[in-house]
Amino acid sequence: MKDDLNSKTGRDSIDAILADEGELIPSSGFLAATMERVRKEAAAPRPIPFPWLRALPGIVLVAGVLGWCGYEMVRVGFTEGAETSLAQMHLTANWSALGPVGWVAAALVFSLASWAFARRMAGGSGLL
Amino acid sequence: MQAATSPEQDLADVSRVLAGEVEAFAGIVRRWQRPLVNMAWRYCRDRGRAEEMAQEAFLRAWRGLAGWRRESSFSTWLFALAANVFRSELQRVPVVNVSLDDVAEPAGPAVQHEELAKRQSDGQVRRAVLALPHRYREPMVLFYFHEMDVAAAARTMGLPEGTMKARLARGRELLKKRFPHLGEFSTAALGSAPGPEKEVLQ
Repeated sequence: MKDDLNSKTGRDSIDAILADEGELIPSSGFLAATMERVRKEAAAPRPIPFPWLRALPGIVLVAGVLGWCGYEMVRVGFTEGAETSLAQMHLTANWSALGPVGWVAAALVFSLASWAFARRMAGGSGLL
Repeated sequence: MQAATSPEQDLADVSRVLAGEVEAFAGIVRRWQRPLVNMAWRYCRDRGRAEEMAQEAFLRAWRGLAGWRRESSFSTWLFALAANVFRSELQRVPVVNVSLDDVAEPAGPAVQHEELAKRQSDGQVRRAVLALPHRYREPMVLFYFHEMDVAAAARTMGLPEGTMKARLARGRELLKKRFPHLGEFSTAALGSAPGPEKEVLQ
């Protein structure tokens, strides 16, 4: 391919200047400095891979909750009309029927699930 | 630029490194430091930075050694990896360069010290390569680094040879326009006013 290029163009002044450049010699400490970095890299602990298997139940749970919320919002939005505000949807979802005790219980369950999920991710023996 | 090395030595050292012998990588660095530092130098024209970039390339090579599939030669893999490293390093912190139009044309024959004048003139042409638009700059750098071997330069960039030739022709044409005194650059052979991707060299 080199011959192809040069047979058509000849070796011109640009070639002569750019190809016949002097060679740079690496500094004497280059090899040592590079190997130092390599040794450090080799000695460092390997990065911990993300625990996808452990995270899977949590991801599915969150996706399910978000999907359910989305479904509810769309359903309520259709039944109440386009002008229904988010706050109205919230109320019309009949969640208020849970009452204060229900909300506290739901919050506690959610907190427990978050804690267990975090323990599971960290490799501990959580409740899950 | 040819390294004083043999594929067998590279293969042996890579196998030892993959078997857990860290010090075997020194053999690879020893054999390839000159080509990689010189390649980096052509990308940035700054000795200190060239060594830093070459060191980073070696480190990436160390990390990715298991990814060399041995379908291509070790040198092809290493040069392609180094080109990627140098490209992203220069994107992160670009070389301070001027536009091609601002590169002064070398002084004429009135300069008394011919040798010095030639050195200055050659230096300006080399710096002008770094002022070329990005798509022509790297092909020019790699073509001359690989001793005018289009195929090797194309492999290093991961481009088809035709594209590489077209970019080279365009890059050389831009340089010639900037430095019209430079010899018998045959525009007839390159085709007249080629498009950026037009295949003009056969």
